[in-house]
Amino acid sequence: MRILCVAEKPSIAKAVSEHLAGGRVQVRNTQNKYIKNYCFDYDFGQGWGNCSVTMTAVLGHLTSTQFPPQYKDWKHPPPDRLFDAPVQTIIAEDKTDVAANIEQQAKYCQGLCIWTDCDREGEHIGHEICEAAKKGNSRLNIRRARFSNIERAHVLNAARNLVALDEKQVNAVSARIELDLRIGYAFTRFLSNNLKPMGEPLTSKVISYGSCQFPTLGFVVDRYFRVKNFKPEPFWSIKVMHKREGIDVHFAWARNRLFDRAAVIILYERCLSAKMAEVTKVQEKPTKKWKPLPLTTVELQKMATRFLRLTGQQAMTAAESLYNKGFISYPRTETDRFDKGMNLQALVQKQTPDNRWGQFAQDLLNGGFSQPRQGRNDDKAHPPIHPITYAAPSVLGEDEKKVYEFVVRRFLACCSEDAKGVATDIDIMYGEEAFHAHGVVVLERNYLDVYVYDKWTGTAQLPKFTVGERFEPFEAIMTDGKTTAPSYLTEADLIALMDANGIGTDATMAEHIQKIQDREYVSTVPRASRPADDGDDGGDPPARGARGGRGSRGGRGGASTTASRVGVMEFIPTKLGVALIEGFDRMNFETSLGKPFLRKEMELKMKAICEGRTTRQAVLNESIGQYRQVYNQSQEKLQVLKAACRQYLFENGVG
Amino acid sequence: MDLASQVRSSLQSQGLPSPTLAWIQNVLPNRNPMPPLPALTATARARLMAADLTNPGVLDASAGVLPPNTTNPGVKETRLSKDVLVQVLDLDNLTKSKWEQVEELEAIARGEQTRGREIVRLPAAGDDGGEEGAYGSSAATQAIATGPNLRGGPPGSEATPRNSTHRLVVQDCKGQKVYALELKRMEKIGVGTLNIGEKILLKKDTVVARGTVLLEPTTCIVLGGKVEAWQKAWIDGRLARLKEAVAADARG
Repeated sequence: MRILCVAEKPSIAKAVSEHLAGGRVQVRNTQNKYIKNYCFDYDFGQGWGNCSVTMTAVLGHLTSTQFPPQYKDWKHPPPDRLFDAPVQTIIAEDKTDVAANIEQQAKYCQGLCIWTDCDREGEHIGHEICEAAKKGNSRLNIRRARFSNIERAHVLNAARNLVALDEKQVNAVSARIELDLRIGYAFTRFLSNNLKPMGEPLTSKVISYGSCQFPTLGFVVDRYFRVKNFKPEPFWSIKVMHKREGIDVHFAWARNRLFDRAAVIILYERCLSAKMAEVTKVQEKPTKKWKPLPLTTVELQKMATRFLRLTGQQAMTAAESLYNKGFISYPRTETDRFDKGMNLQALVQKQTPDNRWGQFAQDLLNGGFSQPRQGRNDDKAHPPIHPITYAAPSVLGEDEKKVYEFVVRRFLACCSEDAKGVATDIDIMYGEEAFHAHGVVVLERNYLDVYVYDKWTGTAQLPKFTVGERFEPFEAIMTDGKTTAPSYLTEADLIALMDANGIGTDATMAEHIQKIQDREYVSTVPRASRPADDGDDGGDPPARGARGGRGSRGGRGGASTTASRVGVMEFIPTKLGVALIEGFDRMNFETSLGKPFLRKEMELKMKAICEGRTTRQAVLNESIGQYRQVYNQSQEKLQVLKAACRQYLFENGVG
Repeated sequence: MDLASQVRSSLQSQGLPSPTLAWIQNVLPNRNPMPPLPALTATARARLMAADLTNPGVLDASAGVLPPNTTNPGVKETRLSKDVLVQVLDLDNLTKSKWEQVEELEAIARGEQTRGREIVRLPAAGDDGGEEGAYGSSAATQAIATGPNLRGGPPGSEATPRNSTHRLVVQDCKGQKVYALELKRMEKIGVGTLNIGEKILLKKDTVVARGTVLLEPTTCIVLGGKVEAWQKAWIDGRLARLKEAVAADARG
């Protein structure tokens, strides 16, 4: 039997061929200079048995979905016709030779095996390959390989356990492509047709709309106004200090702080009148700082922007390249738990040659290994991002080096023990007011030794206090402070917001963030050089910020990552960005394009298609209906959008 | 004993101050046969909780009032010598900055709330929400959108944090107003849970410090009730008051 294998990109075709062929490969050129056909023999086992195989690749998507030529003009027919105009899916112009190669090869084969990446996009590319191959041979037996890295044993295992292509995922992606096309084109033309004639600076701008771009921009604009509009307020608190065994013990007020001076004075006076404080609770107990969860794509991007001085997109590009070279597993994953059956120690073993973390890896093998924590997410397609083989720094590019180091340190941290310490809590009642002191002594650093991105510094050991004991505090003072404005969004914040609000997939978030910069809707500035005109908070940093305890997703305390990070970029909207979001927000609160709701619904619908709860056609009808309604409203209230543009972009506004 | 007097003694036995007999007479239903006493007492009590105590003729002259020096900040500490029934006129969460409350109210007015980082869209009035549910997107919003006084309560007002401290303005039947500060956390006190016009019984020995009543569960009992018109006015004007207060802070 002859089998045609097709991967998503040439590097994967090459790597898989080498593993399957065991060295005896014939390489043939094709019309496309990037794509080679690898010919070899391979025994697929029970299904196809011993076969002669041709392995080739595509370069991502083969097809492009577009409107017929009569819709080329931006003004006629009017843009809203694009909501129901016919669309055609054709082989993309620059991919005709790639498709022709597949069609040609398929003629000689009885079976087709898809080796695209195992995610929704990959499934759809797989479908495109099938369509191209069927043109050459309509009676192909089609299978798909499930794999998440190109390590040898894993690839061989995938080749022996072929599955079917998942039509539901294919349908979800094709719905998404069609929606993005119709909605993106219609609104981009609407915006350009109406705003560009208003004059410079609009005329020379590219004003595009994307259903992810706009909500992403919306987050940036929303935070910008929260910073701009912020009003600092004074607050007061009570601090109690006591000296014992030569140690200053600071007790914090259970009420934290109150925004009324008179109230605090009353409570403070009653403390002082009480004179003596009584110890109500003393607790010493072991405490831990949890090691991180296994690495997901979103987490990789957030950490890269915080600690590696990379943008999310740079980090993904580097990760992609590390994956293509076989150094790390597939970098697009939502899974934060390792399969119980995985041999993690073998992966740890591979890291022992390194002179930075080799010894740490060796120590794990010598008994320090501990099974990673299990997160709650499993996309059932890929394991968490982890190193596959060892890569010496000399073989990696600059960005790759940083990302690889992070992936490895994260992985080793996952396989290590939590950091351990002892926490002491002392509660006192001073009059009617409760105060508490908290102390931590770090005993075992464990994972912290390799995971340099987390900090856990102990406080001084607290002196001995006994329950029921009464003492006169050394000092009790009333303090005051002022709330401070929130910061502008960082890329990590933005990714977290997109993630929480279902904007984009983990794989596409970085692209949307890049897009709103390319379109000059936002600009980034280093946090340090923040312009001084925002807020009149005098500049003296108050005791605590204005932000309350916002829950952090996934329960992992990110508290240790504060300040001191130089080079963190903040996102600030341009006047154009502000005008667009304000324009749409002022039109209609229910369905503003600057809000995440519509897009979130769309993402959930994609998921529903994948899970078989709805169909492609139903989703297309619903979503197009919704966006068409927004389109009509936007057209009715076009004056509102134009007014926002005049206000923010031209002289007659407050800017 | 006539019916009104019976109702009065039942109310007294519940620890409530006595309304005038004329007032009780007026709130009793005009029915024959009369409902049993416990039902009548409950009716009278509910009417009392919804009444404006400063209306003359509601409470009997024997009802406790705040002593004259209650609001004197020069007095470090004094205690009430008898029970005093008061009504809530204003409520302020001192734990949250006013601006934070402004931002929350504005988000709600836009039809949004945030839960952590997630922005949640509130169901608009008349939102059927049936279809969305199929994708689970509205499940989260439903939990929050309970109760008709949605606009009055901050996000998650059902769970005001344990260390919250509120300050109230309360008023006795003579119309005397005084600040009341939450010395110990009282579950029923919270924006969205305590109504304007709600009645609080300040029991004998309640501490008054520097012109402020100190509220704690042992001496102070939240009885319930509200004055509908006051509650509505308070909710409608809350955002404007908060903004005005922030602006005044900035000037001062």
